[in-house]
Amino acid sequence: MIASFDGVNKKLGRVHALVGVSLHVQPGELLALLGPNGAGKTTLVSLLVGLRSPDSGRVRLNDGDPRNPSVRRILGVTPQSTGFPPTLRVCEVVELVRAHYPKPLQISDALERFGLIELAHRSVSALSGGQARRLAVALAFVGNPRLVVLDEPTTGLDVESRRALWEQIKVFRKAGGTTLLTTHYLEEAEELADRVVLLARGKVVTSGSPNEIKRRVGLRQVHLQARALPQLDGVTKMEHREGHFIIWTHDSDALVRQLVTSGVDFADLEVLPVSLEEAFLAALNKEEMA
Amino acid sequence: MKLLLVHTKAELITLLRTPGFLIPTMIFPSMFFLMFAAPNLKFVSAANYTTGSFMAFAVFTVTFFQFGVGTANERDNSWSSYTRTLPAPPIYRNLAKVITAAFLALLAASVLVGTSILTTPINIPLVRWPRIFLTLAAGGLMMGTLGTAIAYLVSPKAALPIANLIYLPMAYLGGMWMPIRFMPKLAQKISPYLPSRQWMELVWPAMTGGRWEITHWLALVSFTIAFALLAGWAQHHDERIRF
Repeated sequence: MIASFDGVNKKLGRVHALVGVSLHVQPGELLALLGPNGAGKTTLVSLLVGLRSPDSGRVRLNDGDPRNPSVRRILGVTPQSTGFPPTLRVCEVVELVRAHYPKPLQISDALERFGLIELAHRSVSALSGGQARRLAVALAFVGNPRLVVLDEPTTGLDVESRRALWEQIKVFRKAGGTTLLTTHYLEEAEELADRVVLLARGKVVTSGSPNEIKRRVGLRQVHLQARALPQLDGVTKMEHREGHFIIWTHDSDALVRQLVTSGVDFADLEVLPVSLEEAFLAALNKEEMA
Repeated sequence: MKLLLVHTKAELITLLRTPGFLIPTMIFPSMFFLMFAAPNLKFVSAANYTTGSFMAFAVFTVTFFQFGVGTANERDNSWSSYTRTLPAPPIYRNLAKVITAAFLALLAASVLVGTSILTTPINIPLVRWPRIFLTLAAGGLMMGTLGTAIAYLVSPKAALPIANLIYLPMAYLGGMWMPIRFMPKLAQKISPYLPSRQWMELVWPAMTGGRWEITHWLALVSFTIAFALLAGWAQHHDERIRF
């Protein structure tokens, strides 16, 4: 086991950020922590990278305590891309981080991989948002770590940069590296992860393959106008106001087929994606009611 | 060792690339010296004595603000919390800061001595310099520790005004700007209880070739230990709240 959480509780002020969380990361896997904002993902990560200690329970990194600096030699972390020391150049920041590791990548290699080679001598204060984000992610890999922790790595990236970053994560994984990724994009977890752990309100709700998770929280909204609707299967939640229906479902295709075959008179059909936050609320409410 | 080197390099580069901070910090004590002290210094002994006061003032300025305001700014800084996830104990980063502050303090003191040589009859035999250096280093350490304690005790936004509120009276009452006997009676009464005055009682004999009294060293060391304990406690407290 490369990283593990056993019965971890953590309070931040009055908020129970983590409640009895147990989670094990196997070497070589790509584990995605998925959850809406405020679910406890960042708190969980902060325990693993040695920034905080749990109130109770145990956090282990490579069989050691992550609060111990030498244990963190196998670990690469992304900083927040807004906080670089503004007076340093890109290559100087990379060099500073690189010096902490026993067998780091070559500076040029690290810059190359993340498309930063032309920016090497630029001051970090002159980077665009996307460029700074790429530098932040490059820093997680520059120490040639065995475990990389990426906290929402693609938030704020354009589609092209996001794809490029996903490629690098896949390359790292092919070479045997382990990745712990937090995200609130279901799509990202689906694209990359071997296993997804669903976190909500500080608890592990469930874990499974990306497909299993998608089946649980991958909801869509079907909007339509109709006077009345027949009985429909596969409806998670339905709202209805003045002839306008909103139906929440895991399989919008099947739902539309049902509508058509039922012969009901409807208009203005629209199928919309549902944000993870909304899907979570719908899924959680359904469970609590059941 | 490599880590100390890279962290020191990063700190020094930052300093050199912010001339807006570096140059005023270097010049401010000398400017004060030129305006208020230099015109009155007609004799060697007075020039030596007063140059010592202002050198201590220069070192005070650098160490107190570098650690006080500098540390306070880092408290909410996401980069400094990132560096804590790197596989190295914080000692390297802290030591790099001490080295950088020492370098800056030495530079500020040198600028002041240069100013004094150009404008006053200062004359200090070479043999006195090791003692002067020692007192400046010891006092700088004490004030840096006090700055660190303040940085963790008050909110980052309040750090600069509060540091100023402590710094200016401390310099004045400690006798860094004018000889004690020219100060108002009340100020003279308060002065001996201040760390800055205890420090000056070590600097002045070093400048004029007099003997040190052991009590002042004891006072300086005690203040430093007290400030270090306070800083340690405040930092721990701050971490418990934030993490």
